[in-house]
Amino acid sequence: MHEIGVRETVNFLGLTFNIETLKMTWLAMGIVILVACLATRNLKVVPQGWQLFVEMIIEWLHSQIDAMMGRRGRMLAPLIVGLFMFLLASNLIGLVPLMASPTNDLNTTLGLALFVVFLVHCLGLYFKRGHYIAHFFQPTPVFVVINMIEEIAKPITLAFRLFGNILAGEILIIVLLKLMPIWMPIPSVAWLAFSIFISCVQAVIFTMLSMAYLANAVKEDHAE
Amino acid sequence: MIEINATILAQILNFLILVVILRAVAYKPVARLLQQRSNKIKNDLDKAEADRKAAEQTLEQYKVQLADAHKKAQAIVDKANQTARQEHDAAVEETRKEIERMKVSAQAEIESERNRAFEEMKSQIVTLSLAAAGKVVSKNIDTKENDKLVNDFISKLNKDMFADLK
Repeated sequence: MHEIGVRETVNFLGLTFNIETLKMTWLAMGIVILVACLATRNLKVVPQGWQLFVEMIIEWLHSQIDAMMGRRGRMLAPLIVGLFMFLLASNLIGLVPLMASPTNDLNTTLGLALFVVFLVHCLGLYFKRGHYIAHFFQPTPVFVVINMIEEIAKPITLAFRLFGNILAGEILIIVLLKLMPIWMPIPSVAWLAFSIFISCVQAVIFTMLSMAYLANAVKEDHAE
Repeated sequence: MIEINATILAQILNFLILVVILRAVAYKPVARLLQQRSNKIKNDLDKAEADRKAAEQTLEQYKVQLADAHKKAQAIVDKANQTARQEHDAAVEETRKEIERMKVSAQAEIESERNRAFEEMKSQIVTLSLAAAGKVVSKNIDTKENDKLVNDFISKLNKDMFADLK
């Protein structure tokens, strides 16, 4: 990102694409797949090294999924693992000089958020059918307005929270580097460290909120 | 800066592709492995439990057998003691009877010996007295008087007068 807010675009089949975002996305995907391959290349029943780390993450996610979603949640586990790893890689990639996070583009975050919400509604309709539609009209039919606003707010908040955090982090790094003379690296290094933390936290938040939304649609109601 | 274009579709597609690849490459093997390990641990635990139960049962059996063996050994020793005592008693009794028997036979022998001696002596006394008497009185006394005299003398003799002959 040399000039903030200006994006390189290409036209393909009459559609406009932000080419930098796409490149960075593919890079992040590549990193995620590479890490996953390396970590799971030599699986053993008695774990060692990287395998322990990967297993730890998956075990933790499984316990979260079981606690939040119940029995049906397990089928969504790969999606959630993938979401978390992709977001983590995407967020962190932007901290490397000359690179940008795919998540500093609203297209990415909104795309993921819309996908998650779309999935929530699909799964809700599939698992609960009438009940799912009925719960928008509870406790009284008037609440349908509030419920609709909530449903619309979900993807928007999800997308803008991540987008804003990551973009702000990157902008501030550029600003700090321009603001400070080159022999005074402390503010930018401190901000970089903070950005690493923010990247991890935002990946967790996005994943956890997606899980919470999905849990609503997937978990068995006791009233059913 | 905030412009939505076709990238949004591309990103959704990218993400879906990523999820599919990750699921195939990483998630499934790890999940399978975790399942496999939990199965293995469960099996091992079950087996350990079964082994422990079997061991306990064997120990119990051994204890019972040991107690049984002790009891049997005690019974054998008791029986041996009893047999020995019985044999001892029988031997003592036998010896006592033998002694008694020997005593009785010895007494009988002594008695018969004494009787025989007495008889013998009596006849010798008769002969000697007759001879002595014959010499002393020669022909003054007839044979009838003589016999009477002798018989009187003999009848006055009794066993007790020869007590020192015993």
